[in-house]
Amino acid sequence: MTNQSHLPRTLLRARRDLLWLLVWIGGLIIVGAWDFAFLNQPALARLSRAVLNTLFVGTFVVCVSCLMGWLSGITLHALSEARNTFLYYVLTFLFNLIRSIPQIVGVLIGYVVLTLLIRADVLRSELSQLIWMGSVISVFVFLEISDLVRERIQHFKNLDFVDAMLCCGIKESRIVNVDILFKNSRAHLLHKMISVFGITIFLLCSIDFIVSVGLSTDVSLSNFPMTLGGLLAKLDSKQDILAISSAFTDFGSIGALFFEHLQGVSTAFIIVFTLICIYNISNAFVKRHRL
Amino acid sequence: MTSTRHTIHIAAADRTLVSIKNFEIPENKITLLLGESGIGKSLMSKALFGLLDPDELSVRIDGEDSAKYLTRAEPRELQQNGFFVFQEPSTHLNPLLTLKSQLNEGSLSAAPNEAAILSELWSGAPADLAHLLEVYPKPYRPSGGEKQRMLLAMAFKKIDALIERGVATRELFVFDEPTGSLDNAYRDIFLAMLLDRFRRMKFTCLLITHDYSMIGKIFESHADVVSEMSFKEVVLKGEIVVQEEFDTGAYLKWLGGLRPSETVPQGRRLLHVESGAEVFGRRLILSRSRDGAPTPLELTNGELLYLKAASGTGKTTLVKLVMGLLRSERLTAQVGDAALSYATHRRFWQRHIWGKRMTMVFQHADEALNPESTVKGVLAALPSSRGQGEAYFMNLLRELFDVDERFLRKKVKHLSGGQKQRLNLLRGFALDTDVLILDEPLNGLDFESAGKVIAMLRRKQEAGKGILLISHNEEIFDNIVRPENVYHLRAEIIGH
Repeated sequence: MTNQSHLPRTLLRARRDLLWLLVWIGGLIIVGAWDFAFLNQPALARLSRAVLNTLFVGTFVVCVSCLMGWLSGITLHALSEARNTFLYYVLTFLFNLIRSIPQIVGVLIGYVVLTLLIRADVLRSELSQLIWMGSVISVFVFLEISDLVRERIQHFKNLDFVDAMLCCGIKESRIVNVDILFKNSRAHLLHKMISVFGITIFLLCSIDFIVSVGLSTDVSLSNFPMTLGGLLAKLDSKQDILAISSAFTDFGSIGALFFEHLQGVSTAFIIVFTLICIYNISNAFVKRHRL
Repeated sequence: MTSTRHTIHIAAADRTLVSIKNFEIPENKITLLLGESGIGKSLMSKALFGLLDPDELSVRIDGEDSAKYLTRAEPRELQQNGFFVFQEPSTHLNPLLTLKSQLNEGSLSAAPNEAAILSELWSGAPADLAHLLEVYPKPYRPSGGEKQRMLLAMAFKKIDALIERGVATRELFVFDEPTGSLDNAYRDIFLAMLLDRFRRMKFTCLLITHDYSMIGKIFESHADVVSEMSFKEVVLKGEIVVQEEFDTGAYLKWLGGLRPSETVPQGRRLLHVESGAEVFGRRLILSRSRDGAPTPLELTNGELLYLKAASGTGKTTLVKLVMGLLRSERLTAQVGDAALSYATHRRFWQRHIWGKRMTMVFQHADEALNPESTVKGVLAALPSSRGQGEAYFMNLLRELFDVDERFLRKKVKHLSGGQKQRLNLLRGFALDTDVLILDEPLNGLDFESAGKVIAMLRRKQEAGKGILLISHNEEIFDNIVRPENVYHLRAEIIGH
């Protein structure tokens, strides 16, 4: 009986990544409930949209990066095995070119193109703009997964089991995809996906904050889809953030932060809280799987 | 050391590693402990010797937690008066001390006869032994064999100290696979040294091995001490390990009854390898006798060939070249009507050789199987298993295993070393290739499994397949391979 009642606690202690995931979801639900009760309706709608859009872009980047990372990793491996040096070097050069551009600068350039596309009326819907933002970020983060895929293949190529399977007439594509990547690298890939999700949230919030000054006279944050970074960069959110600093000198105003300055405080909290939780999920995942 | 029966239970966080109720090391005897690799022989001995870390593994000895066991006098005395020679010599030696310092560390410094022991172990002490003693151990130097002999020297120093004192103590000398890195000549030297000391004074010794050829050597050259020895075997029964008496008579009878297959080769050439393949700056010479003239290796159907060479010569390298797994600087070979050379593209092996005309079973089953795959996954991946159900896989398994369907779902990483080796072999046998290359096929197997493997080899021969064997287990293979089918390999440095 005692053992059974301790089981969930023991389980959560052993799986701290799961614990942090629950903390994150729980935290978002509590903030959502508080905002639902005390935040005005238009601000609540903006905040909800910003959270959903940010999570959508994060998820989109994880999926696209995974696909691009796997495709590029496998292609480079196949080219090196086939000793097709010309194509191998062309692709490697291309990827190194992408690698040489700081992610934040690359995404900023993507935003400039997005601005041009919005001005030219090419990207009209919010969904298409979010997909563009996600695609641009994917281009600058997919190499993280591509490198991991190649590293895992290379590691296992040095072990006898790959050669032993080849000698049995088993196709190399099956060995690489099923035996190396699926059976032996799932945890590594999942960990990288968590990291990519965190990188995306960070990049998105940073860039949206940077571009809050406006990229052109016609296009500014008000034309872009609402994200957490964009919402934080809005004037009323910035005033809410300033209220936090005044609470340090005027303790009596602390209570007001949680009722009158909710938009900015909630947005800032969600961004910081999400990044802390992802960091802890990632660390605990590494420990649990001994990566 | 008192010869009581011990109950030992060792578990990792997620599963039981070994559970035995009757682990016994008879006092003042040499116990030869046999059994499949990975069954837990080393773990049980380390637990008793007090070498397992209670923070890493949950260990219970005679119902007592290991932390409490370690506070008792027994493990302390065993360590103080005895010695433990580890299976992997590299893990035993301290890289920050020279070999000479390690030979004289702690109680070893008071032990006599160092020069005589080294001289015996190095067959007369070569001139560079003094230089070797000044070496700090590294992964590549000294060689595996030299490291192993250095550890044996330490153990013999402690035995000699015991003999000199001549006082009965509680001691235990554990030799865990002491000849794993030695060739047969050094194996014989080790046995002679150990048994000679045992003749002078009885002490408690545990000799862990899965090398059955030791039995033959002991009965042949040291028959006078056989009655003072204990031959035991550990076997897995369900989830429990059981220690039983090993029937040496049955083994020797089986060994004596081994004969080459009656199958008459049908003369169709399956594999031809020219002598003189070149790789890593060395030329690999094939010959019919140890230093004979170069001759090509010819394998016809129904034939069993045996490739012999000293450890490290390049037997595995040569077959990997033939299998297209390594790039050579020079190679001339033919598989059926397909010519192979150093210039042959890897794609050719992929399309026409691997799993179609030729397959190879690797020597280290631990590395040759995907640890995250299930038993069924290993067999189902074979091209010949496409679309097959559980009944097919169970039929395959029954050749070498006595298990039920649940075994199919077991992960490779949870199998014992012997089970891995049998699965490794089964995967090669399941393919219907004309040529089968087996690298150390009896590694880690008990003699019952070895018998089954040899029976399977015979059936392959009768089916007209050609088999190329690499093994250091000459005692067994010299009996089943015709002398004219034995090839020797030696290496020359190119340019010398």
